[in-house]
Amino acid sequence: MTAVARSFFAFLRKGIAVMLQYRGEIVLWAIWGLVNPAVSYALWSAAAESNADGTIAGFGRGEFAAYFFAMMIVGHLTQAWDTYEIGHLVRSGEMSPKLLRPILPIWEALAGNLSYKITTLAFVVPMWCLFAWLVRPTFDTSAWQLGLGLIAIVLGAVLNFVLNYVFALVAFWTPKLDAMGELYFGACMLWGGRFAPLDALPDILRWLSGLQPFKWMFAFPSELIMGRITDPSEAFRGLGIQLAWIAVSIVGFRALWSVAVKRYTAVSG
Amino acid sequence: MRLPSCGCCAIAVRCRFWESRIDMPLIEVDNLSKTFRVPEREGGFLAAIRSVFNRRFRQVHAVRGVSFCVEPGEIVGFLGPNGAGKTTTLKMLSGLLHPTSGTATVLGDVPWRRHSEYLRRISMLMGQRSQLQWDLPALDSFMVHAAVYNIPKDQYRQRLDKLVEMLELGPVLKKQIRTLSLGERMKCEICVSLLHGPEVLFLDEPTIGVDITMQARIRDFIGDYNRRYGATIILTSHYMADVTALCKRVIVIDQGRILFDGQLEALSEKLAPFKVIAIDLDADTDGYDFAALGDVLAKEDRKVKLRVPKGAAASVTGRLLRELPVLDLTIEDPPIEDVIGRAFGGSSGVGPEEETSAAESQGGDR
Repeated sequence: MTAVARSFFAFLRKGIAVMLQYRGEIVLWAIWGLVNPAVSYALWSAAAESNADGTIAGFGRGEFAAYFFAMMIVGHLTQAWDTYEIGHLVRSGEMSPKLLRPILPIWEALAGNLSYKITTLAFVVPMWCLFAWLVRPTFDTSAWQLGLGLIAIVLGAVLNFVLNYVFALVAFWTPKLDAMGELYFGACMLWGGRFAPLDALPDILRWLSGLQPFKWMFAFPSELIMGRITDPSEAFRGLGIQLAWIAVSIVGFRALWSVAVKRYTAVSG
Repeated sequence: MRLPSCGCCAIAVRCRFWESRIDMPLIEVDNLSKTFRVPEREGGFLAAIRSVFNRRFRQVHAVRGVSFCVEPGEIVGFLGPNGAGKTTTLKMLSGLLHPTSGTATVLGDVPWRRHSEYLRRISMLMGQRSQLQWDLPALDSFMVHAAVYNIPKDQYRQRLDKLVEMLELGPVLKKQIRTLSLGERMKCEICVSLLHGPEVLFLDEPTIGVDITMQARIRDFIGDYNRRYGATIILTSHYMADVTALCKRVIVIDQGRILFDGQLEALSEKLAPFKVIAIDLDADTDGYDFAALGDVLAKEDRKVKLRVPKGAAASVTGRLLRELPVLDLTIEDPPIEDVIGRAFGGSSGVGPEEETSAAESQGGDR
């Protein structure tokens, strides 16, 4: 096993141990992740039903249920929150011990991200089932869509994690970074299709969302899983764009990291 | 082969013609400087508004042209008041800060390039920063450390057993870090810093905030570690006792400059030819002429503090005991800030040029 892999698994074991210490808190975070798509579903399905044909942009109640059910799962599995974390680490000086280790701190952050997702599975899976039972989503997913959808979730998670971390690096210049976290979260809500399916947005917004990475973290995997993307070539093109954005994010991380570390001055004395 | 560039290292270069090699100092610092740019404004609401439109910055010269060398196995004490530049220097040597100018090599590497091979060979312990996971037992953090530093299982077990024994850590290993006392936590911090067997140790106030017994234990341990493993150690501390117990050589830093670099005995002779005598009295002694015995540092109610020349400490003590109703009497070394302040005429009393020349004349013999 390579040094990075060994360290990563050690961080993962530690991360899970920490999460288990804070069972109550992580359950509350997980509930917040469930409430979000549930509320969006309630709003959009009510709006659709008030229309004469019972649909908005081709989404009926059952499709909205399927979309937000898929988004509930995708949103949980691809989320990242380092824009909220790193500012605190820099401000408090807790970043210093991490920088003294012979491994990039991003590996510990990635292990922390995964450990939250692993630990909360025992809680969120039953909740997902309950939500599905309540809203009866209309799925039309074939095996290839599900298979590619799972790959898209993994790629979306990697993309969101790396890009979020790149934005978080701004903390090395401006340690009070809470607003950056909010800005990033807002972008995920709107451009990622978490607030509304992108097809329900005005043309110009939909076009703009295609230029940004957020769609490929959330909307694309969700639409694939619910069976809305029917053309395999479109699915493969989406996976390719995800990979391209991941490559851009990694290049961005590598370029910014060394500059950010140079910039880091901690709390000097 | 590269020769050391700083003049103070000349003595460290030993040419052995029969071996045709040159021993290099382990740590070599040449003209290292660090300047921070910090925003500055007056207090008050209006000043806060003004600062939005007209932000003023001040240059803080934390370290100014510091040069020194450290030989393998040496323990060097950094002394100096708060804000002197001790921690900033250590942070540069450990790779946490980029200097504004100057060069340094440690173990043949430039620290701030942060090569992982370099980081594996050093350790920096910051008394005020924890590297342990707050919510988990120390053992969990130790295991993560072992994985990150790629310590083979047997070696980890062996070292951990040794460190646990030397630091008497047995009873606390399984307790959550946040439930430990400060002293217990500090011992765990020391343990984790040493698990990978660092060749160079930077200890930034390792005894801060812990009680006297624990300070002494930590001190003993550091000395023992140095003797057993030949590790090179740079230590900063506010406590003179840490330095006197551990370091033969001290570097005194004030306002970012080296004021003294040499043997500890020379420092004590030069800087602290005084003792502080503190007495508690049983009755009021109005009119007693304390000033005739030494400098009166403090006098309130029935407590008096006197500074007297070292040589006169015994006779003054005898006189005080004979002539006054003394309840309690202690003789101490003056606090380090006080010592340094007096010896160098106080931070404000010595101009930059004078400071430089002092550093050159005293540091030059190393």
